[in-house]
Amino acid sequence: MGVDFHADHVNREELILRYLERRLDPGAAMEWEDHYLGCAECFEEIRATELLIRAIGMPVVGRRRVEDVTVLQFAQGTHLLAASLELSELAQVARTPNETKVLIDLSKVSRIDSSGLGVLMSCYCHAINNAGALKLLSPGPKVRQVLSVSRIDSVLETFEDEAAAIHSFRPEV
Amino acid sequence: MSLSDRELGDLRSRIRFKVCYDVGFYCPDVDDIVQETLTRFLLAERDHKINNPEATGAFVNGICRNVVSEYRRRNLRNEQMPEIVPEPPARGLPESDVFELRQAIAHGLDQLSDRDRKVLRAFYLEDKSRAEILRQMGLTDENLRVVLFRAKERFRAIYTQQAKHRADSGH
Repeated sequence: MGVDFHADHVNREELILRYLERRLDPGAAMEWEDHYLGCAECFEEIRATELLIRAIGMPVVGRRRVEDVTVLQFAQGTHLLAASLELSELAQVARTPNETKVLIDLSKVSRIDSSGLGVLMSCYCHAINNAGALKLLSPGPKVRQVLSVSRIDSVLETFEDEAAAIHSFRPEV
Repeated sequence: MSLSDRELGDLRSRIRFKVCYDVGFYCPDVDDIVQETLTRFLLAERDHKINNPEATGAFVNGICRNVVSEYRRRNLRNEQMPEIVPEPPARGLPESDVFELRQAIAHGLDQLSDRDRKVLRAFYLEDKSRAEILRQMGLTDENLRVVLFRAKERFRAIYTQQAKHRADSGH
């Protein structure tokens, strides 16, 4: 009597994950292949898991270099709130040791709260402490209002145009 | 046992996945291996050599493993590996379909809450045990099941839609 792969969907998910990562021992992998080659449902589960892994593996905060400035941009529309994944990733990316000239594109951010502002300020401090700078690009009306009410816009320079923002990082001659 | 066109198409997809898993998604001979496996399977079916229709998957897997082993032996015997393996011509989805798939994935991701995404990352990407995830995220086993089920449901729908689209367009 073989394994019942349909008995527990979390166990099956763990098995699929180990199979896709090639961490199953050969006997278990063969048994699983024997099964899914004849089972449309389980095959569909493998393919759905592949897509899901691909999706959650997508970077939430994109990073590109323009001259010596790192431009950080969110992959999709987002809220920078206490519990959001984007916020923790932003904090992680913007505070890496070699990121000192950072431009954060806020065009896809539709809401920000005090935690979001706190992370922006902490990234700013990181840049300043490393003789760099952190500036903001294209905040939407709601975010702009929060930046203004909290007076953070008096500390963090904000630009509407990327070229102008990049230019502002160049030392004045 | 006789397979309809649709069942045959489904079986081909499963064999293709298994072959790609074994020889790599960029192997230029994937289609040949899949075709050889299917041919042997259909011949066995025609000659009534499949004794246990309940274990068709295992039967197909056996054939597929043989075909892959023969392919590997033949390659080792006949050919020296070139120093630089040329990249085979791209035979993936057309650009518009890739874009559509990306959009669908992004949309599927958008529908997940932040907590769900954190749980899914921990489960799929961060190599954490189930117990660790439950403890760190303050979840019950049932919560975890619901999160996985919800996410899988969305991505299963995306996959089904893509598969249907590919079948309709003949890819």
